[in-house]
Amino acid sequence: MTHDKITIKDVTKQFIVKHSIVTALKDVSMTVHEGEFVCIVGPSGCGKTTLLRILAGLETMTSGRIEMVHSDRNKPLNSMVFQDQSVFPWLTVRHNIGFGLKCRNVDQKEIDEVTARYIKMVGLAKFADAYPYQLSGGMKQRVSVARAFANDPEILLMDEPFAALDEQNKIMLQEELLRIWEGSNKTVVFITHSIDEALILADRVIIMTSHPGTFKATVDVDLPRPRTISTLRGKEKFNTLFMELWNILREEVWKAKQSEGLTYEEGGPGTGPAGETCEGSVICDESDLVM
Amino acid sequence: MATEDPLRSKVLTGSQVGELSAGTTFVATAERPIDASGKVKGRFSLGPRANRVLGLLSPLLIVALWETASQTGVVDARFFPPPTEIAETFWHMLTHDAQGTPLPFLNMLTESVLMKDLWVSLSRIIVGFFLGAVPGLIIGLSMGLFRPVRLLLRPIVSATYPIPKLALLPLVMVLFGLGETSKYVIIALGTFFMVLINTMAGVLNLEKIYLDVAKNFGASRTDFYTRVAFPGAMPLIFTGLELGMGMALLLIVAAEMNGAAEGIGARVWMSYAIYNLREMYVAFILIAALGYLFAEGLAALERKVVPWKPQ
Ligand SMILES: Nc1ncnc2c1ncn2[C@@H]1O[C@H](COP(=O)(O)OP(=O)(O)OP(=O)(O)O)[C@@H](O)[C@H]1O
Ligand SMILES: [Mg+2]
Repeated sequence: MTHDKITIKDVTKQFIVKHSIVTALKDVSMTVHEGEFVCIVGPSGCGKTTLLRILAGLETMTSGRIEMVHSDRNKPLNSMVFQDQSVFPWLTVRHNIGFGLKCRNVDQKEIDEVTARYIKMVGLAKFADAYPYQLSGGMKQRVSVARAFANDPEILLMDEPFAALDEQNKIMLQEELLRIWEGSNKTVVFITHSIDEALILADRVIIMTSHPGTFKATVDVDLPRPRTISTLRGKEKFNTLFMELWNILREEVWKAKQSEGLTYEEGGPGTGPAGETCEGSVICDESDLVM
Repeated sequence: MATEDPLRSKVLTGSQVGELSAGTTFVATAERPIDASGKVKGRFSLGPRANRVLGLLSPLLIVALWETASQTGVVDARFFPPPTEIAETFWHMLTHDAQGTPLPFLNMLTESVLMKDLWVSLSRIIVGFFLGAVPGLIIGLSMGLFRPVRLLLRPIVSATYPIPKLALLPLVMVLFGLGETSKYVIIALGTFFMVLINTMAGVLNLEKIYLDVAKNFGASRTDFYTRVAFPGAMPLIFTGLELGMGMALLLIVAAEMNGAAEGIGARVWMSYAIYNLREMYVAFILIAALGYLFAEGLAALERKVVPWKPQ
């Protein structure tokens, strides 16, 4: 029996920029079950970050409804791994990772234990007492990931957390993430640009349309777990799913390209570009997708 | 292909670097090797000691030029007394009291003309500085953190901040008399605004993403103030303190213009009145030394308090 953990119903988000309105999200609806691992993919600028920020309580929505079930009051409902650099420059790696626990007044001994565990997990044991300026970009991103993990939320909101990482660290952290997730009852909403990554991680991939973003399709990833990149690659099922996702996506990527420059419509929503479709013969620019 | 120690250099040939014409070899050498003592060796770095010597060279050169020019009459020795004479005066002021009686060594520190000037000014600067910096910090933080406070106080601050503090000096003297209080007040005023403006800016310029993190990770108000806003504003707070300290040095000279018998600033005006420029130069040296010491002190404090700032 799976409960709905997150219910998103007809969420619309408009930003007012100068005198025009930018519709970032338009009537987005989706549900995520408790304990489910969902990846969201979609063209750049389609509102993925905006959606996640609304879920995280950092942005208000213009209209719509969101329900999140908070079952254990001793745990935070959600923690976010931000797309941009978000590690506090004035805290050491250790204190950055323990930030959420500290805010929840967890006792210091436990904070130290948990923090030490996650520092090790992201491979920063030697840098536990270093300040962020002493770290590389990828290392900072790992701190940001560890900070969210250490906070032990019911829902992990992850905004392209591994995009800036090198391949080795990416694979390592993907596996860590799966390990943490499999041993828990956590719900994960994970944004990515990479179809590979989505297929390795997710129970289900949600595809969003190009600007203004809305729900386009959902694809179940019924690949056996535990998964690793090496066992998946080359599998028939993996390739089929890959092509299925790619075919849905490239239409959107192509649309996003077509409407470039038309994204700031005067007068408000609802006047988006006509829905051209990408025919099989049209070559889509694959550089928009990192695979 | 050049064959070199792979650790020391990276060689890209023309065929690999498209922009370069065929056959040219672009050699990107590694950083200068570091020797066992940790010093970087190379043509333009001479090591820390040599760098310091180099830094002393230009002032020494100027002093030497000045000496000769003054001694030979190229410049008027009444306005530009030779450095040796200034040094002599310095020594005299350090070893004699105001009546011109020589002092035993132990009494010099407290009773000599020079040290008395120094202590008097120093205490005025320090008291005034704290009287200004502490409220500046508190009000600056509150204005940065609380919108209502900011809306309430910003007009007053914006209107009073640009008034040159020197223009306020007569008013301050009327209000607080010619004694110590007026000197504290004028220095405090100068420091206050510098610290306030920078502290507020430090809080307001916090990158928005840190507020988002604080919010998402459930920081309470107190957590936010103490773990995010205050440390985040620290670098600009220090900038404010440094500027405030500079302001204090500037104002001490003006503050001691009237109604002060002792102090570095008073010394400047007295030597002006009796046309003894050598003493004026000694006072300049003292002000410069104070400025240097304060700057170094604040920098050392900053390294302690803001260890996370890239050096
Ligand atoms: N604070 C804001 N003010 C105005 N417009 C915004 C704001 N934030 C986002 N937008 C607009 O909303 C749209 C969606 O942005 P969002 O950051 O959610 O995209 P995204 O899907 O995360 O893109 P990417 O994959 O490149 O990260 C964009 O058109 C963007 O310009
Ligand atoms: Mg984004």
